[in-house]
Amino acid sequence: MGAKRAKRAHLAKRAKAGFVVLCLALGALVSEGRPRADTRHGGAKAAPASPGLPSDVAKRLRSGDDAQVKAALDDVRVAGRGGAPLVPVIVDALERGLSPTLTQAAIETLGDTEAEGASLALAWYSKHRNVAIRRAAVQALARTRGTVATTALRAALSDPDPAVRALAATGLGTLNAREAVGDLFVALDHRVAEAAASIGQICVGGECDKLAGKLGSVPFDVVTSGLDRALARPPADVADDIKVKIVARVRELGTGQANRFLRGVQSKWPKKGSPRVRQAIDQAVIATSGSPGAEEASP
Amino acid sequence: MTPRRRVERLACAIGVGLLAVLVGGCGAAQQRLSLFSTDWEDDRGASIARAWELVGSTAIPASSDVVVGVGAQGDTLIGLSLANGSRWTFSHALDERPAVAGRVVVGSGGGEIFAIDAQSGAVLWKRAAPRSALLGAGDDGAVTVVTFRPARGVGSVLLAVARDGHVVREIETGRALGAPAVVAHTAFVPWAGEYVSVINLGSGDEIARVTLRSETSHAWTQGGALWFGEGSFIRFDDHIRDASRGRASTAVLPPRELPGRPRLMPRGSEPVPASASADDKARIYARPSGGDVVALEDGRWYATYFRIAMGFDAGGGGAASGGDAGKLAWVHLHGADFIGGAVGAGGIVLCDDKGKVTALDAATGGVLSEADLGAPLRACVVNVDAERLSGAPSDVKPFATQLATAVLIEDPQLVVAQKLLLRELAALGDETATKALVDLASDPRTSPDLLAEARTALANRRNGAAFMEEALARHYDFLKDVLRSPPVGPIAQALGAMKEKAAAPLLAAHLLDPADTNDDVMRAAAALAIIAGPGELPTLRQFFGMYRACADDDDIASAVVSVGQALLALDDKAGRGMVLAATEDPSTVPYARERLQAVISEQRQAQAATAPPPSDGGKATGKPK
Repeated sequence: MGAKRAKRAHLAKRAKAGFVVLCLALGALVSEGRPRADTRHGGAKAAPASPGLPSDVAKRLRSGDDAQVKAALDDVRVAGRGGAPLVPVIVDALERGLSPTLTQAAIETLGDTEAEGASLALAWYSKHRNVAIRRAAVQALARTRGTVATTALRAALSDPDPAVRALAATGLGTLNAREAVGDLFVALDHRVAEAAASIGQICVGGECDKLAGKLGSVPFDVVTSGLDRALARPPADVADDIKVKIVARVRELGTGQANRFLRGVQSKWPKKGSPRVRQAIDQAVIATSGSPGAEEASP
Repeated sequence: MTPRRRVERLACAIGVGLLAVLVGGCGAAQQRLSLFSTDWEDDRGASIARAWELVGSTAIPASSDVVVGVGAQGDTLIGLSLANGSRWTFSHALDERPAVAGRVVVGSGGGEIFAIDAQSGAVLWKRAAPRSALLGAGDDGAVTVVTFRPARGVGSVLLAVARDGHVVREIETGRALGAPAVVAHTAFVPWAGEYVSVINLGSGDEIARVTLRSETSHAWTQGGALWFGEGSFIRFDDHIRDASRGRASTAVLPPRELPGRPRLMPRGSEPVPASASADDKARIYARPSGGDVVALEDGRWYATYFRIAMGFDAGGGGAASGGDAGKLAWVHLHGADFIGGAVGAGGIVLCDDKGKVTALDAATGGVLSEADLGAPLRACVVNVDAERLSGAPSDVKPFATQLATAVLIEDPQLVVAQKLLLRELAALGDETATKALVDLASDPRTSPDLLAEARTALANRRNGAAFMEEALARHYDFLKDVLRSPPVGPIAQALGAMKEKAAAPLLAAHLLDPADTNDDVMRAAAALAIIAGPGELPTLRQFFGMYRACADDDDIASAVVSVGQALLALDDKAGRGMVLAATEDPSTVPYARERLQAVISEQRQAQAATAPPPSDGGKATGKPK
């Protein structure tokens, strides 16, 4: 009974904290721009406790007791961005070393804080020998952002583990890492399929056309996962000329697969979207309707 | 009287020379031996001494310097004169490998035996062959002696044929004869692996016999002398009388490890197939020479293994020899498999299965000359007697480079030889050898067998640090198609032993490379415990923190201990704090914690032992107890 009561009290405390966290989210975002406390061993002692978190969370993180550290990390995770003030403490713990389970939990927690200050420690762990830890670190880096994160993710494209490479490619798209487009193309040529979607998210001008040029040499579904995204981006990012070119390249394939893709794009095309691109899509759908495996053209 | 007997009588009557009469073939006073009998009692060299007195002064003509290839297509012989480069072809069915005897090429096939002029390819004679397989042949310029082994059953046939094609002598015996030689109308026939019987071709009588103390199934003439042997060379000279006591003039190859267990000569009592086999590709070649003492020509002997040729010191201080018997002197990597060869003065002539003939210099292994038979071959017979191989050898590379080239070539069938050559390479003090070992251990195409040995050899190097550091600068990189990490562990071991501090940053970078094996990381850390400097502190601290509680096996835990030792040795305050804290933290993996505790304990004991003795009569200074 005592345990149940304690748990209920803990949940109530968490709910209350969650409400406060929402209010403090903006504050946390602002705080990311500020200089961080020294993340080296000892420097984390000055980290302030977040108002949305239990007051002893930092103490528990430093306790050295696995159970307490795990519970504290859970508290910070629940706080999301609100947990940012605790980042130096978690980073300090990672620098001193944690068990594999706690290491992974700490990394995921840092990702949840979305604090750029966590990126350096996560970059370290993106080269850990334990592949599960590397994957977690790469996923977290896609959320903590910043130059350090981008650099680490670009390096992770060359990781021995295919899943790490895939997560890194996806993360670079998420980070809108324009400087990584070249690497992503190389990764795509090395069968990192996730690179296509990321290229579609961040390509400009000829880069988007270059992606469309991969049709025929890279599996159709892989390339169109990126083209789909490129076509959906606003004209300021990807000009109508480029979109028309992309549609033309797909249309040239003249396959049922191309027809189905174009129909998908047609169905999603916004009513207020470019009429010129819309026209190109419509004509491409009609032109590919007779292809084997294509759907019947709509009247 | 049978026709055969009539022929024998005629031969005796004519005497084909005074010699035949002298040696007693037609009623000589000497004791007659029973032909190829096994109830013969060793005569302590008496009969062979008489044979030497009778034949020893005979000038033995040089045999043809010629390469005879068996074409891969059809039954075509292609001849190439080494003296003038002229070429001939001759088509005939072939059941066994042809033999070069004197100035004649003898072959058999399709129920026929034939002899052709070795220089021109012109047919000298053909006749029906016994239903047997050709073993070998000898020729003295007037008569050709050929031995056969019946296709079924035991025993042998000896056939002596004059230049005009008529049979001078035909002997059938139940013994296993080897390849014979002929000098002055007298046949020297090895048999049963230990005897050489001397047969007067005029009478058909065995006029002498010698028992040899080493395996013998071949007799041949070369360099103006008559030789017996199979795995060694025994000269027919005035010491032959002591052969049964093991005191004949003999040259023996020094024993040494060779790939493929090659033989100097095939067993003379076994027919040699018309097509070359693995035995022809893995062969030993040597040529006896010398005056009073028999030695090996140029102080060299040779071995081939598919497309690798090797030259070895014979010992005894020959012209090219350094005097260390069996020591590898050079390696030549060829473009095709060697299938035949012969040693001449100055080098070795080898022919390959593509039909190319290459002469290699005895001293350096450099190419002296090249020729082409014009077609791929399925077998090849080379005979070199008077021809001297000379000229300036081309393509001579330093020995270490020769070894490296042979070891680095990607060819699965060479792996056995490459392992041997790798050991030779490892024994060289040359920095080029270090580079080759680095390259071999880094190359993803290196076979696993070679890789293990290359890594071991690399770890034991004590030079070539620059090549090692160049290799360490590389890391696994998927996008750049670098799919094998460098041999970090062995390099680290070598650099640590060399105390190469310049390599510390490169090794430190490998501590954090997840593509390196745990063993490599462990050995890199061990080296850093010796050579790390202050510049490596951030990486050492990072590694220690990341793995002291996360080491997934003893290798990484051991690396943590080594890195801990490095941090303590560098006396870094933060690092020392990390190590001390780790020894007290239960989350530190036990393997590392226990060893680090021991390290710290030892360090404290050492500090206590080296502390200056108290100056106040034994009372401790500083804080009171």
